[in-house]
Amino acid sequence: MKTLKALWRIPSARLALLVLAAIAFLAVFGGALAPHDPLKQYTDEVLQGPSSAHWLGTDYVGRDVLSRLMAGTRLSVVGALEAVLIGALLGVPSGLVSAWLGPRLEWITLRISDTLVILPFTVFAIAVAGTLGNGLQQAMIAIGVLMSPIFYRVTRAAAIGLRRTQYVEAAELMGATEWWTLRKHIWSKVLPNVAVTAAQAMGAALLVVASLAFLGLGITPPAPTWGGMLSADLGYLSQQPWAPIFPALLMMATVGSLNLLADSMRDVTGATTAPRRRPRRTTARPEKQSREEQSDVVPA
Amino acid sequence: MSSQPDHQPRRTLEVTDLQVSVGDHLVAVQDVSFTIGRGESVGLVGESGSGKTLTCRAVLGLLPATGHVDRGRIVLGDGADTVELTDAKRGTWDRVRGLRLGAVFQDPTSYLNPSLTVGHQLAEQLRVKRRLSRRDAHARSVELFAEVGLRDPAGVFHQYPHQLSGGMLQRVLIAIAVSCEPELLIADEATTALDVVIQAEILGLLRRLRETHQLSLLLVTHDLAVVAETCERILVMYGGQIVESGPTEEVLRSPRHPYTQALMGVATIGNWQRRKLDVIPGQPPAAGAEMPGCRFAPRCAYASARCVAGAVPLTDLGHERSARCVLVDDLSAPSVQEVSA
Amino acid sequence: MSLAAPAPAAVARAPQVPRAASRTLPFLRSLLGVLVVTVTVLFLASVITFTLGALSDSNPAAAALGETATQQDIDRLNHEFGLDRPLVVQYFSWVGNALTGDLGRSWFTTIPVTDSIKTALPVDLSIAALALVLALVIGGGAGIGAALSNGGIIDRAVTLVCSILGTLPPFVIGMALIVVFAVKLQVLPAGGYVPINVDPGEWLRFSILPALALSLDVAASIARQLRTSLVGELRENYAVGAEMRGFGRRRVLFGHVLRNAAGPTLAVIGLAIPLIIGGAVMTEKLFGLPGIAQLALQSAEKGDVPVVLGTLLVTAVIVVAASLVINVLQTALNPVARRGAGTAKAAR
Repeated sequence: MKTLKALWRIPSARLALLVLAAIAFLAVFGGALAPHDPLKQYTDEVLQGPSSAHWLGTDYVGRDVLSRLMAGTRLSVVGALEAVLIGALLGVPSGLVSAWLGPRLEWITLRISDTLVILPFTVFAIAVAGTLGNGLQQAMIAIGVLMSPIFYRVTRAAAIGLRRTQYVEAAELMGATEWWTLRKHIWSKVLPNVAVTAAQAMGAALLVVASLAFLGLGITPPAPTWGGMLSADLGYLSQQPWAPIFPALLMMATVGSLNLLADSMRDVTGATTAPRRRPRRTTARPEKQSREEQSDVVPA
Repeated sequence: MSSQPDHQPRRTLEVTDLQVSVGDHLVAVQDVSFTIGRGESVGLVGESGSGKTLTCRAVLGLLPATGHVDRGRIVLGDGADTVELTDAKRGTWDRVRGLRLGAVFQDPTSYLNPSLTVGHQLAEQLRVKRRLSRRDAHARSVELFAEVGLRDPAGVFHQYPHQLSGGMLQRVLIAIAVSCEPELLIADEATTALDVVIQAEILGLLRRLRETHQLSLLLVTHDLAVVAETCERILVMYGGQIVESGPTEEVLRSPRHPYTQALMGVATIGNWQRRKLDVIPGQPPAAGAEMPGCRFAPRCAYASARCVAGAVPLTDLGHERSARCVLVDDLSAPSVQEVSA
Repeated sequence: MSLAAPAPAAVARAPQVPRAASRTLPFLRSLLGVLVVTVTVLFLASVITFTLGALSDSNPAAAALGETATQQDIDRLNHEFGLDRPLVVQYFSWVGNALTGDLGRSWFTTIPVTDSIKTALPVDLSIAALALVLALVIGGGAGIGAALSNGGIIDRAVTLVCSILGTLPPFVIGMALIVVFAVKLQVLPAGGYVPINVDPGEWLRFSILPALALSLDVAASIARQLRTSLVGELRENYAVGAEMRGFGRRRVLFGHVLRNAAGPTLAVIGLAIPLIIGGAVMTEKLFGLPGIAQLALQSAEKGDVPVVLGTLLVTAVIVVAASLVINVLQTALNPVARRGAGTAKAAR
């Protein structure tokens, strides 16, 4: 709550939160509020420009673009959210645990994370679709699995930094149970890092989901998604070169807001998503100073 | 530009009425004037924050991004070789630095590129500034490494900075600084980070180089003992001003400013163990602090209302000596104990 | 030393200066370490790939014959493709064959998977290579420009463009390029492909847009990282020292600073390689290129498991190989890692 208040005081974070709230609203109510049925084909109004009936025009089979954008928000956002959740559920616990594992097991978890990092999202998603079937769940699981190393690394770095701090040792000495130590002390330090990473990952996941939709993976065609709409526009670029602008703008606003939010959260909470890196050098001096102060809180 | 009268010794550096400010018009150095003659060695002494490093950075044109010269002139050389360094453009600096102006700093490790061999870095200087061929630059580099007292100079040539010790790196940097026969070498706390034995060796090296290369030396340090060993003339800085100047021997024999006396009280000449200055009671003024009178007054044992009434000028005492104190005439040689008490 | 750490770790400066007194041939040791990691990662990648195949419920008979397949047909084809053996045996024969360049045969066409990949792969590799070059030129130029103008107009423009590029999926950038260069200006083709060994000029004409679309994303990462590293390095004492020695801006930048800023930037490029390969898949579809992604997509639709697994495995190998090259380059740039600390430290 305190963090949220601090975030609200940063203008860019406020803007980002507002945009994201609007997107969340669209995700929940977009389908119901859409002026037209997103699937209805006005066959005599194919590829129309913006008009009073269709504010953003119609697509190649005469469907209302605005309605499809509004209704498509839910699938796009929910898909990405699912992938990020899977990534966090796989990455965060394994990252926490790996800080307390012996060096051998730790080495193996690191290599697994290396392996997942080198697999390209699209190729892996194609392979998953080819073997396990082409569906939204399979695609999101595939993305989530490939995203888990980010969470793993970030959590692990924060946990390792804290494992050696004195107050954790003190808590252990005073007879606190391991679980209590973990929850009370570590979690409060790990959480900001995970939150920043989640915001970044959410932005990345939106892009990947769109890319997969473009390839025809994950979400099957008649259902509207941002990526699917962009993909459909590709065939009609010579007739409607401006058509991709609407879904692209929506996506830019969402992903941009998530990135802004991640940056602001990093500044507010002092999360260091970067394991073992030198204090970031910025042109803004006061910001740098606050970073250095914060870095004292988490001795590596 | 007025040329120097003939009877004066040839001039290497002349700084006139220098004022440097940092950040939002915090005046950190003010009213600083001094001259360094050809072949002369001058020590600039003061606590940290006294403005000595800013003064030397201003002369090198390397002020931090927030600092700038408000007023004053900096002139290098005399006669036909005169170069005006006040507000010099990058092109002027590039012609002066390395060729006529060399510098070594406190932390030698950080001043060398970690991914190039030290030989490469010296040879590069000779090739770029002296237009030597690769082969000649290599040969001259090995000579220079030998001259600054590095053993196995040919082997050192191929070493990376992380493979050498701090003392060796400082020798390398000195070799680079003198490689193009500059008129003036500025050593900014160049021996501070080194241990006592190596410090003495480096100072010896600087003295030797001065003779063999007709080098003028500006030695910036907080250590009175270092100046006593190395410099002919001394400038004592306090709170951004020069408070006393004169021939080293005379100044140290009979200091005319209470601050110089206090400095001597805490740095026993010849005793390398006691080199800290923070034993003088009180704190130096913050950079840019507005003080109407003597800036040392709050810490001074002789302070009176006269001291803070108005700006205290630098009084010429004859024999190339001057001091900035209202008591200069009364204060010939008070006992040191009184000051630090 | 990890092959591909996530981005933040890569920002750590390359030339750390440990004064470790280890005298045990550090170069060979680090080489061995890299080798062990590489082999492990490849092994894990093959296990993941094989597991996908094992989890799949499609089989050659169902795939080839569809609903009409009888149990007899299924058993016969399963036996023919060796699918009735224990999984461990299947895995080792699959990996063993893969090591000799045999990735099995398609369940449909019975064309060897290796052959299909061999025809498709050069398309992606040549375009990815061109994209990498473009990314280096564009990103390098933008990064250096931004660092030099630090805080100025170029810096802000580069930062802005980079942030915008980061919020768009690469295929949208490709679409924008198609609209501008193919639809409006009509100077470059919107799709199609000519192999480089047939006509390099035509290849370039057809490849430049896909490669550009692929490169901008990576160029943005390179520009951002290079800017950060350069600004940091320019503040380092050795850069001030080089300036103090009377070296001009250009010499300080290219002779001294760039070399040290290159390490983190290389790490970013290493991380971008999966992105380039993954993005190549998308540009293939966007520009209608006959590459490995078309092969994989078509096979995935049909459920042609051997081809799908083959493409995944080959992709993984390519990424690992590229990371290895980056790793070697990084080591070459860093004298501490290259020669080892303390080996030749002369006694004073």
